[in-house]
Amino acid sequence: MSEPAVEVKNLTKVFSLGLRKEYVVAVDNLSFEVKAGEVYGLIGPNGSGKSTTMKVVLGLMAASKGSAKVFGLDSGDIRARNEIGFLPENPYFYKHLSGAETLRFYGKLCGMKGAALKDRIGELLKLVDLEGAANRRLAGYSKGMLQRIGLAQSLIQNPRLVILDEPTAGVDPVGSRQIRDLIMRLRDEGYTVFLCSHLLEQVQEVCDRVGIIFKGRMRREGTLDELIEIENQTSMTIENATPELIAEIHELIQSREGARIVEEGHSRTSLEHLFIQIAERSREEKS
Amino acid sequence: MSDPTTNAAESAPRTTPRAAGKSVPIFSIGRVYTIASSTVTQLVRMKTFYFLLAFALVVVAVGNFNIPATPAKELSMIKKVAFGTMDIFAWLFAIVATALLIPKDVEDRTLYTILSKPVRRIEYLLGKLGGVLSVIAISLVAMYAICAVVIFSRESLFVAAEYESMVASGQYTEAEIDEQLSLIQQQGLRAELGIAVLASFFKAAVVAVVTIFLSTFASSSLFTIIVSILLFLIGHAHHMASSFWLDESGNSVVVQMLVKVIKILIPNYQLFSFSEGIVQGEAVVSALVWQMGGLTAGYLVVFLLLSLLVFVDKEF
Repeated sequence: MSEPAVEVKNLTKVFSLGLRKEYVVAVDNLSFEVKAGEVYGLIGPNGSGKSTTMKVVLGLMAASKGSAKVFGLDSGDIRARNEIGFLPENPYFYKHLSGAETLRFYGKLCGMKGAALKDRIGELLKLVDLEGAANRRLAGYSKGMLQRIGLAQSLIQNPRLVILDEPTAGVDPVGSRQIRDLIMRLRDEGYTVFLCSHLLEQVQEVCDRVGIIFKGRMRREGTLDELIEIENQTSMTIENATPELIAEIHELIQSREGARIVEEGHSRTSLEHLFIQIAERSREEKS
Repeated sequence: MSDPTTNAAESAPRTTPRAAGKSVPIFSIGRVYTIASSTVTQLVRMKTFYFLLAFALVVVAVGNFNIPATPAKELSMIKKVAFGTMDIFAWLFAIVATALLIPKDVEDRTLYTILSKPVRRIEYLLGKLGGVLSVIAISLVAMYAICAVVIFSRESLFVAAEYESMVASGQYTEAEIDEQLSLIQQQGLRAELGIAVLASFFKAAVVAVVTIFLSTFASSSLFTIIVSILLFLIGHAHHMASSFWLDESGNSVVVQMLVKVIKILIPNYQLFSFSEGIVQGEAVVSALVWQMGGLTAGYLVVFLLLSLLVFVDKEF
């Protein structure tokens, strides 16, 4: 069995409040694993301990108790940081740098240089669709563009694990969709993605497994199917069904004891999908 | 229908993450250089060099004052004001620029992205300090160039005018004229003035490293700036504090101990004022310059170690 990308064991993080001897337990005996190659979502309300857990995994904070490991390395070990790409919530990079300069800066911090770095910058700008804004300073970037350049910087050294903290916070639905597609692409390419979010619909779309954290404790964890399936209900979507066929199905169901139709109606698109379709159509008409 | 928003991601080249981790060197001068050069770019693009315009205005204005004094005294006055202003600009710049760097990185969360890369905290601190020192050095060279132009042009004017007036009067021998002109030239542009600039750099470097130390635990740039200026002023009162509190027998042991502790903790900035003598035309003692260079290096090492002590376990 392959080594887990992230292994958090009995993690507790306690903060002391100023000089008074008051303490806040941000994370309480938390344990979970992120398997290599999966997209894992840690969800919970604000103040539930998600970001603190991430910071411990990143080595930005030390655990009060317990441990956090990245591919078997202690999270405080600098070698672990070579394996991680991190996108913080609402990232503010150096506004005086352009998109390409930002990637060059982070690449050099990872020991990259020369043609390899130049090629990688080009690849990533293409990946996040920012080739046209490569030489524009970040001060002129929109929220979605900042988030995408942030995602590109997190991938610069080609890490095995990508940690995303609220990756779509404050981004409009089109930008949000682009980031979601990028996350799915990362998974397809073999990256491990560990993300924190409170946007449940998005987590549901991209995550293989989800952990629900509340007041620093893991409340439930499992695959999406395990967490959201209703065992005694089944849904079907039928295309081109005639009224006669629908009537036959109704009759059949009524003839079986205990079976009943709970909900029936036309399939609907999501508001997000509708918004994106309209936006894209307008863009096409304009061009 | 295919979703067009996915097009960019789909058309981009596919990359696969590395299979195994890469080792990280214990210390990388390359990472220090990357952070330092980014700091220089940051300070340059923040338009910090605009203060050089203000400096140029001050120097040009002073150079064009008609001071009722002998040419030598007038040149001496111009040098005093120009090098004094240069010194003030250097340490003030060291405080303000340094105080803006680390707290801003923390506030903007840029630090998260830097420290989540394989960057050691000492490399980050050294990079920031290196960047600030580079900008201070560039600024001092630029300010010195401005001073040199003004002093040299005034000196040339004075020498030409004095020569003409002495020759026209017909009362002076060639030797007397040469002596008079050399008196003016002694107060003019001399190579030794470069040592005065170096002294200002030493002082600004110590101010910058003390400010870096403060900013490792300060909560805001404003706090760092105020405390740094306060320490700078206290650092100029070492001699006064010693003679008032340590040499007076009436003071309690507690007061004397406190003054001794402050004397150890706060750099003695008075020691760096040796540039004033150089500006006034005094001879440069090379041993003193080396001594001050050593002292500056000592302060840099001590305060960097103190900064690291605070910063290495700091949680963000």
